[in-house]
Amino acid sequence: MKQLVRSQGLGAIIGVAVMLAAFTLIDFSGWWTIQTLANVTQFTAILAFVAIGQALVIMTREIDLSVGSVYGLAGVAFITLEPALGVPGSFLVAMAMAAFVGVLQGVAVVKGQLPSMIVTLGGLFAVRGVIYVWTGGAIHNFSADARLHPLTRLFGGELLGIEAAIFWLVFVAGLLSVVLWRMPFGNRLLATGGSRESAESRGVRTDRVKIWAFVLCSLLAGFAGILTLCNQPQTHVTLGENMELEAIAAAVIGGCLLSGGRGSILGAILGALIVVSFRYELIALGAPSSWYITFVGAVLIVAVIFNQKLARFLGHSV
Amino acid sequence: MTNNQPLIQVRNLDLYFGAFHALKNVSVDFHAGELVGLVGDNGAGKTTLIRVLCGIHTPTSGEVFFDGRKIVKFHPKLAIDQGIETIQQSVGLCDNLSIARNFYLGREPVKRFLGVPFLDFSRMRDMSTKVIRQFGLRDNVSADDEVERLSGGERQSVKIGRAVEFKNRVVIMDEPTNHLSVREREHVNELAVQLKEQGLLVIYITHDIFQVHKLADRIVIMENGEKVADAMTDSMSAEELEEVIRQGGRVIEKQEAV
Repeated sequence: MKQLVRSQGLGAIIGVAVMLAAFTLIDFSGWWTIQTLANVTQFTAILAFVAIGQALVIMTREIDLSVGSVYGLAGVAFITLEPALGVPGSFLVAMAMAAFVGVLQGVAVVKGQLPSMIVTLGGLFAVRGVIYVWTGGAIHNFSADARLHPLTRLFGGELLGIEAAIFWLVFVAGLLSVVLWRMPFGNRLLATGGSRESAESRGVRTDRVKIWAFVLCSLLAGFAGILTLCNQPQTHVTLGENMELEAIAAAVIGGCLLSGGRGSILGAILGALIVVSFRYELIALGAPSSWYITFVGAVLIVAVIFNQKLARFLGHSV
Repeated sequence: MTNNQPLIQVRNLDLYFGAFHALKNVSVDFHAGELVGLVGDNGAGKTTLIRVLCGIHTPTSGEVFFDGRKIVKFHPKLAIDQGIETIQQSVGLCDNLSIARNFYLGREPVKRFLGVPFLDFSRMRDMSTKVIRQFGLRDNVSADDEVERLSGGERQSVKIGRAVEFKNRVVIMDEPTNHLSVREREHVNELAVQLKEQGLLVIYITHDIFQVHKLADRIVIMENGEKVADAMTDSMSAEELEEVIRQGGRVIEKQEAV
């Protein structure tokens, strides 16, 4: 519990509780159905991967705006390379491409001493451009064989009626939580975000830590793209558009402070749940779909105010 | 003066920040088992010099030798690996981490499970608890508390305690008694002398020539990025040295010329 309070996830837990209570009151029969919950959790899992990566980067006091494009790139690569490389081959190449984008951006930020906002904004456009050029706007599909490949089933299938993405999320989030809170790398990552100079003076290679954070973020975004396409193997050029904003919103709703050093993996997941639930429920209630983004904006601002009050209440200086 | 090889030898060091000439042709030797007071006014280059020694700044030209070997790459990690512990003024602790996590930052003790390193929290807690009790932090401060909650003096105590705990070959203290109460200050000064007696090199940076004159074997005075005096404390009184600082070093140059 103490760990939870400290790790900033508390605000998101309260937020989820309030949201579920509200949806129950407004739309009990529509919300609590298997179909709704299955869809919401599936989309939450996908967004949560991207949000967790974003949270790691924000914890080092940087930001990664390119995740939506990286998500799209990995997905497109996975589908279009499959005929040539097979499912495992194209999976590895797609992940390697994501990692490469992460390394490139991380190195540019750290070695070039550039603001990550600008570098990754460049990444956002550049990678999206690559997707346009590569696909030529065409839609690609998996062959019937590829859809039945064990790896595709492993990433996109389901077990006991629960989507594979959710199992992967639990596994990866658990793993990263251990890395973040129980391993030296996590200590150094949090220190890098908390005070880069201090971490550096203690011998922490903050440049390497930041590059790793960018790589992890890109890998998670790429993995999310692949999970999506294993589930619905069809690409389109807008795959992952605006996802960076949803991911940042989810991470911030989940308690990540843009000032660095504080954040939570569980919070990022819950933040993703809030964002996705709002989207789903607003559509279900018949609101025009364009309203959804307005609501996300409002929730984001309320969440930031709430998280800040909560942090001050707990005695943090933010 | 000891005749053996200096532990740290700085030769003709120049450092520019852009057009700003921060260190001008500084040459100085530091020996093991010595407590050296590094004194000078604000902006004299004391802190810049030690930031070179602890690996934060890379000199523009000139050489630094550690234990007879020339330093080629400068990075805090390398300095720490060589055994140089530095207590810096404004940096060294991350507010968002607990005392225990800060204590071992960069060299966390680990318990390996299947080869995977996990933080050894019990060891981190025990050691940092020991140190915060030695330094008389408030009783309700625990090793799990975030540094954010500590006062300036408590932060300083944690930094000093950490450097002493990891004492290796060199301890550099930059204004160590800032923010400290009289009692804490005495404790720190005693520690500095103890470390020296254990054979470590202690470099003690301060404004206060009178305070360090009582402790140090030797005083190095800097002014405007230059070394202007380097004298054993038994050959020059604190008053004489203070006069050197007041004159901005010009007097000593004349004296050397005579």
